[in-house]
Amino acid sequence: MTIALEVSHLVKRFGGLIATNDLSFTLNEGESLGLIGPNGAGKTTVFSQIMGELRQTSGTICYFGQDIGGLSTPERIAKGIGRTYQVPRPFSDLTVRENIRVGLMPDSLISMIFGRSDQSKENELGQSVGFSIRDLDKSASELAMGDLRKLELARTLATGARVLLLDEVFAGLTTGEISMISDLLKDLRRRGFTFLIVSHDLPAMEPLIDKAIAIERGTMIAEGVFSDVLANHDVRASYLGDTDVGS
Amino acid sequence: MPEFVERGTLRTMIQACYLAIFAMSWDVLSGRTGYISFGHPFLIGIGAYSTAILSKKFGVPPEYSIPLAIVITMFGGLVVLLPALRIKGSYFALVTLAFMELMYQLVQVIRPDLTGGTRGITGIKSLTRGAEAGYELAVTLMLGVALGLWLLMRTRFGTALWAIGMDEDSVRGSGLSTTRLKTMAFLVSALVAGLGGAYYAHYTGSLAPRALFDIDFLFTIIVAALIGGAGTIIGPMFGAFFLIFLLEWLRPILPGAERYFVYGGVALILYMYQPKGLVAIAQSLRDRVRGDNYDHRA
Repeated sequence: MTIALEVSHLVKRFGGLIATNDLSFTLNEGESLGLIGPNGAGKTTVFSQIMGELRQTSGTICYFGQDIGGLSTPERIAKGIGRTYQVPRPFSDLTVRENIRVGLMPDSLISMIFGRSDQSKENELGQSVGFSIRDLDKSASELAMGDLRKLELARTLATGARVLLLDEVFAGLTTGEISMISDLLKDLRRRGFTFLIVSHDLPAMEPLIDKAIAIERGTMIAEGVFSDVLANHDVRASYLGDTDVGS
Repeated sequence: MPEFVERGTLRTMIQACYLAIFAMSWDVLSGRTGYISFGHPFLIGIGAYSTAILSKKFGVPPEYSIPLAIVITMFGGLVVLLPALRIKGSYFALVTLAFMELMYQLVQVIRPDLTGGTRGITGIKSLTRGAEAGYELAVTLMLGVALGLWLLMRTRFGTALWAIGMDEDSVRGSGLSTTRLKTMAFLVSALVAGLGGAYYAHYTGSLAPRALFDIDFLFTIIVAALIGGAGTIIGPMFGAFFLIFLLEWLRPILPGAERYFVYGGVALILYMYQPKGLVAIAQSLRDRVRGDNYDHRA
């Protein structure tokens, strides 16, 4: 099995604060890894470093064997990594279709000015996340939370991402929307996409991941099958804030 | 049309056309990407001074001095403002404002024999004879700029600039180099500013640094774009004509600086009522009228 993403000895310091502390993990192609931990554990910081929005203090990040630590965010995206945000960030005055179009744009001024947008590709991406053709002409500002999550997924898929970093995909969703997004992600998994998922909604996340790692204050405290990670004493303590849990 | 209007009105129309060009130039950069430029007089000034100096002091014919002035504006502006495009929000506005003031000082200190110092330059060769020809030239320029920008903004490039104004990080998160996009937007904006500035210098025949690198001039440009409707092509044109004619109509009633109170008040009320500008107001009126018609038929 090919290793899609390999993070080794990643460290990120903000002054005296250690946000990521010697974190290492590997993610195989087609696999789905859950990243859990209490608020402020440093999950989003890990995402930001993989995307190049933040530079790590030390450690390496390899994508299919290539060190991508020195690349800019657009260069990493061009390689096939994409992320969604904890709070969806649509282009609110644009339509759903135009939002997807921005994701599809090549990073070249010439083709942006002289090339044409690919309507059928836009339709296909929109429909692949469950929008109808009519939905595509809605303004993004009219969408409900569940639809905004779908829009973010479509825009991220439009960039050609093969490895998807999903930050709190279930936050702010109704039960119905959670099962809709969950079905969508299961479908994407069958299609061979690789996932790194952060979520507070542990039951919703369980069927979507192969294994999990738990971090607390930037340090990995457990790794393995999801149920084992959840049963881990340190993990329970970090979530519930009580070291006597389970004893 | 020129035959039917007074000469004074014609001159007002010409003013409005040039203001429209400047407002469209401002809007391509600031109205779209949200990077508010306070430095447009700086760019317009480079264009105006370049062609004035080239044609008056070096005898370069305007058909060469104007294109040269545009190129100088684009690259001169780029060299100094490129670092500023990496700064966000109000800092960008402040840096560009500083450049405008710097330019005012520079034309006085560096080679006053060329720039004319505080007195400016007079006797710049006119391109047209009479107000009518001047009007036709100004309208042609304005419509040419409008068409060019409209075509450009319809492309994916235009969509991407607009997206930057909404959420720049998300544009980068979609895999696009936003610095490159902003630089291109800046170059287009500088091209239009340089073109407008150069032709305007030949139209007025003189340049006065205090009137050009001036905060009133700067705000007139910005207000024209905002009350007309930022992020559109027709909006800044609409706003420029509205503003120039408003000031002109107020002149007999309020001859002094009080006019600017009224104009400021009108701009404020319009902007508070509809931040998307006159264009959006016109659109909603049209929709309402159409809606009524449908009701009658039903």
